[in-house]
Amino acid sequence: MNRSLAIVLGALGLGVMLFSGSYLVSHRICQVCVTQPPGSLDWMRKEFHVNDAEMARIRRLHADYLSQCNLMCQMVAAKKQEVAAALNNATNVSPVAEQKLAELAACRVQCQSRVLQYFVEVSQIMPPAEGRRYLAKMQNAAFGAQEGNEQPVSEPAGHEQHH
Amino acid sequence: MKENMNPDDAKLGALLRASRVTLALPPRFQENVWRRIADAEAPVPSTSWLSWLDTLAALVLRPRWALATAAGLVVAGALLGAHEGNLAANQAAQAQYLAAVAPAALR
Repeated sequence: MNRSLAIVLGALGLGVMLFSGSYLVSHRICQVCVTQPPGSLDWMRKEFHVNDAEMARIRRLHADYLSQCNLMCQMVAAKKQEVAAALNNATNVSPVAEQKLAELAACRVQCQSRVLQYFVEVSQIMPPAEGRRYLAKMQNAAFGAQEGNEQPVSEPAGHEQHH
Repeated sequence: MKENMNPDDAKLGALLRASRVTLALPPRFQENVWRRIADAEAPVPSTSWLSWLDTLAALVLRPRWALATAAGLVVAGALLGAHEGNLAANQAAQAQYLAAVAPAALR
């Protein structure tokens, strides 16, 4: 009985090792081979069944958008620096700091609406059903509820009883 | 022998015979004895999981079966790994795209 049990357990262990070994090797090889260079849009062709002509239009749109996106990022970074300068060594929120915060928020809103506009433009190039799927997916990924971002700061234990 | 017998021995023998207690056997004593002997001699029936384990161990030791199973596991692992690797690469590409078109600073 002990011998049989040892044989069966040994075979099981060997089987697990073989399976997991081949899984890991194949996973790694496939990931390395399939990984696309940064900026490549080829994944979109497979994921959303985009043909060559549509892909060419998306590439042009994407290139135009990226240059605008860089400008928007620079704008947001500049506004952030202005906010940091206004808040520097301040012990309370001054009207200037409030003004800078409002400008940063407005800048962000402008950028976000441009991002959404880009998503809509790309989706309109795709076949209708795929376009809707792309738009929903991108909107959710970019502006959907992100874990932890909008969570209220948790209060220390024991504070609940006072409310 | 009898000539050498001591008359006291004869007395002692009679006394011993008189003192012997004859016990009554319990009912179906003999039948029970034979049944217990038969039970003791019968082969111990093996439990089902033990015989199953032995069968499995014997199967595992068959080279053809072992080789086929090993090959099946390697192929299954490789296929699953390729599938998962493909998905992971696709997700990484999408994450890169999203980081390029909607950087965290803009969101």
